[in-house]
Amino acid sequence: MRKFLLLIRRFWTLILFISLEVISIYFIAKSRSTQGIDVINSANGTVAYFYRKEQNIISYFNLKKVNTDLLKENTALRNQLFYRQSVDTFKTVDAKIPIFDYDKIDRDQDSNALAPVTMTITENPPLKVVRYAQYRFIPARVINNSISNDRINFITINQGSEAGIKPGMSVVSSVGIVGRVEHVSKHFATIASVLSNRKVSARLKLHEAFGQITWIPGHPDFVQMDNMPITLPIKLRDSVFTTGFASFPANILVGRVSHIDTVKSDNSLSLRIRLATNFRTLAFVYVVVDGMNAEKENLEKKDRSAR
Amino acid sequence: MSIYLRNIIRFVLLILIQVLLLNRIPLNWWAPPYIAFVYPLFILLLPISTPTTFLMVFAFFTGLTMDAFMNTGGIHAMACVTIAFSRRKVLAFFLPQRLSEYQNATPGPKIMSWGSFLAYAAILMLIHNLVYTLVEIWALQSFWYYLAKTGITFLTSMAFVVIYLLLFTKSVNIKAFD
Repeated sequence: MRKFLLLIRRFWTLILFISLEVISIYFIAKSRSTQGIDVINSANGTVAYFYRKEQNIISYFNLKKVNTDLLKENTALRNQLFYRQSVDTFKTVDAKIPIFDYDKIDRDQDSNALAPVTMTITENPPLKVVRYAQYRFIPARVINNSISNDRINFITINQGSEAGIKPGMSVVSSVGIVGRVEHVSKHFATIASVLSNRKVSARLKLHEAFGQITWIPGHPDFVQMDNMPITLPIKLRDSVFTTGFASFPANILVGRVSHIDTVKSDNSLSLRIRLATNFRTLAFVYVVVDGMNAEKENLEKKDRSAR
Repeated sequence: MSIYLRNIIRFVLLILIQVLLLNRIPLNWWAPPYIAFVYPLFILLLPISTPTTFLMVFAFFTGLTMDAFMNTGGIHAMACVTIAFSRRKVLAFFLPQRLSEYQNATPGPKIMSWGSFLAYAAILMLIHNLVYTLVEIWALQSFWYYLAKTGITFLTSMAFVVIYLLLFTKSVNIKAFD
């Protein structure tokens, strides 16, 4: 026994070395097995906590890239959504027309004479799909923004004619309307925002009443909607949407009613609307490309000349 | 600063450098992507008079820490225990006196010369990389691939070891640069 203890003492380092290596090999073997029962891994509480803290710090560095990616994805989703919305389908259906032949003489002989005779007009109607007013969105980043001018406020974005932007296109943000493209260069474009003397047609969602909104100079958060009929039961926080008459697509949020005034001189309501878009922190916008706009304007020009 | 505190700080620092910096840079200078290792320096820089048994236990837990961070099971622990086991022999080869006579001294350019310290570090880092790459590949079917990966890992690791020493050694032996 004593000799055995001496032996252990003599080779103590070697025994410890071999046992530690064997433990390591055991860990490795466990981790290589497919059941995922490794003893040491980074899902362990302390290491996971450490990695989470690290991620908290590091994630700030690629926020810009993440934002750009999200913007791209949003644009793609928006494009898809509008593609779905602007589809109409209709079918040429079988028309069944009853024909009663009252004026037949031998009516009594044929008891079934009163039964309607059906006549099929079309067989196997093809499904027709109609697409119209395809809106397309171009993402852009705001690189200059003003809200303090009294007459007209401009926003500069980092996309221009190279991306397909033309003057007159409408611009929306992820939550509401922004404005209309004013000037375009190769890589930049300026937008006259809603905070200017340009008018936008809008309608109240609940009551289907439409009117025009104008900006109240000096308030970057509010626009005004005049001449609403006093009979409308308008409530505070009713939402206001675009109409789709002008270049803005329909049903884009303008804002919510925050103030209702009665104008006694002409018995109408004047609504003050808090804009959905926060122009102070505007960072990303979408330029709306209306595929049917040229055709529509051409047609309306004929009306104007006929007048 | 006491020698215990200094070693604990060095341990944390080296693990942080390895996990936050080097593990994030998969180098791709030659074909296989690889990672440079600088954390074995903790075992190399433990006091000279540390007994091998303690060395091996420390090395085992250092390796396990790295394994936890890198999801490698126990490969780092294995490689670290190997270099801790062979450290004493290598160190004795480069130091003139008996190892027990160096009380509380850290192996480094201050006690040895730069040349002999780098040779000592190179031998142990080479052993570490040989064991690590061997267990990681777990097959010798392509021997040249194994050698190439070990060699390039070793060279870059040594570069980072030298950078670490230049950054964090307090009084570098100026004579070495004359």
